[in-house]
Amino acid sequence: MSLDNLMQVPGALAAFQYDDRGDLKAHQVKEGSELTPQVLDLLAHTCVANMAIATMEARGWEALTGQSGFEPIQGFSLVGLDWSAVVGRNHGVVVKNRDADYEAAFAALSAYGA
Amino acid sequence: MRIISQLLAIPGVIAAGEYAYRGDRFSFKGEMSPELARMASILCRSNTLMTNMQAEIFSAFAENCGCKPVQGWVVHGKDVSVCVVGNYFCFCRNTRGLLNDVMTIMRAKVGDIEENPLVYMYAKLGGDVNEKLY
Repeated sequence: MSLDNLMQVPGALAAFQYDDRGDLKAHQVKEGSELTPQVLDLLAHTCVANMAIATMEARGWEALTGQSGFEPIQGFSLVGLDWSAVVGRNHGVVVKNRDADYEAAFAALSAYGA
Repeated sequence: MRIISQLLAIPGVIAAGEYAYRGDRFSFKGEMSPELARMASILCRSNTLMTNMQAEIFSAFAENCGCKPVQGWVVHGKDVSVCVVGNYFCFCRNTRGLLNDVMTIMRAKVGDIEENPLVYMYAKLGGDVNEKLY
């Protein structure tokens, strides 16, 4: 599936695909964006790490508290100063905070198997 | 505490609280026991430190890349999401429209939305927002 759908998310600056190790496999960057493939590759690695940590915490939280509804983790977002990285299973999209629609981003990612 | 009360006024918000960046002080309101709130505060503090560390590494690759300082993070679970901005946390259900509202309020209070949050929220509708509101 191409990354075009993710680039349609409001405020999208970049969309990217990565493997389970976090290596960048494909990406699209909006013209004028300062995001580089190097930054996206690093971002992809942190995505894998953060999703794994979130899953570990969700599993532990559910076991400790008896609460449910956390697992399976659908996605993670890192909210930076100017932009947010919203990621799912193996795809992510970077959105400008000013125009960010987190729900739309997570919904778009779910189509990629988030 | 006002932001916590504002968050809890939104239907679907389970609990909201504030944690200290250092030490173990916390405060909260909502459907959560003090012990769970204490654990949530520890979890949120450690994840916030982790994301800040990641942003430091990003900036080593690309100075002024737009990620630093980190405002917060979101974990989007199956039915529940955890939102953290600054030193505030919010547990909310994944009902339609809720996540965006929670994030807008949290960022307006402790993040980077400088203008009136009402204007910001209505800006999504398009057109001359100030004219419609005022």
